[in-house]
Amino acid sequence: MKKIIIVFFIMAFLSLAVNAQKYITKTGKISFFSSAPLENIEAVNDQVNAALDFSTGDFVFKVLMKSFEFPKSLMQEHFNENYVESDKYPDASFTGKITNIKDINVANNNTVIVQAQGDLTIHGVTKKINTSGTIGIKNGVLTGYSKFTILLKDYNISIPKTVVNNISKTIEITVNIILNKLNN
Amino acid sequence: MKTWLKILLILFFMGIISAFLVYHFVINKPHPDYDKEPAKYSLKANELFNQFTSNKKESEKKYNGQVVEISGKCTSIEQNDSLAVVVFSFKAGMFGDEGIRCTLLPKYKSGITKYKKDSEIKIKGFCSGYNDTDVILIKCSIQNKTP
Repeated sequence: MKKIIIVFFIMAFLSLAVNAQKYITKTGKISFFSSAPLENIEAVNDQVNAALDFSTGDFVFKVLMKSFEFPKSLMQEHFNENYVESDKYPDASFTGKITNIKDINVANNNTVIVQAQGDLTIHGVTKKINTSGTIGIKNGVLTGYSKFTILLKDYNISIPKTVVNNISKTIEITVNIILNKLNN
Repeated sequence: MKTWLKILLILFFMGIISAFLVYHFVINKPHPDYDKEPAKYSLKANELFNQFTSNKKESEKKYNGQVVEISGKCTSIEQNDSLAVVVFSFKAGMFGDEGIRCTLLPKYKSGITKYKKDSEIKIKGFCSGYNDTDVILIKCSIQNKTP
């Protein structure tokens, strides 16, 4: 009986310790930008779910495509209907690992350049991505930033022939997140 | 003035007017006014969440991209410089509470301060989907005048 109680307390302590390492946000911001001869295309989504397990460096991002807001209504319609087909593929995700998570010390206020690698899934297609970014720490709150470029054709996003010269074949993605410690 | 010239002028002006109308109403058409858009579905907040968690695919087909009105007791109101989010939580998950998150239109940001935890709120917004933790409504407007 004594052993069971000790095991129970060890398990409870471990689960608390693991939870204490999780940082999350539900209002992360992802924007993309694509320069084009006729008009630049840009959109913002500030409803992004992101979580980082500080003990392992594992992270996950989840983005709903219909939450992207464009300056122009027609652009938004084309994005959802013709390009990312958001009825068929409602979300995108990025799951992976920060490989140098041990370089970050939460106790110190500083900014660290981090390397992230993982699987980016857009439009139902998953590709390996390696990118770098920064994580800043201030009073226990983490601020993450990264910018990287993807090729539309890698994700089977086809550009209609009529506008092929007016739309860039690449898209620059910018990630801005503020992660707070998860208190469970 | 010669008849052919008159026809040419009329066609020219009609062309200009058509180009203006296409630009104004098609290419540069404004976003829908979600404050005024009627809700396609009206239901209790917990019913909407339960539908998404029990049958994600069917609920996505039904609600994604639609204006939905929900009502219930709000669990919290999150505010920062750019956003005000009304939260209805129904369970605890791996990444904190899970439920429905409603991002308000800017014009409702200041009025939300009179609502507190457990206030009854009727809220209408554009459903952008379920991200495996929360159902997301954006461009939301408060429908009841008092908490």
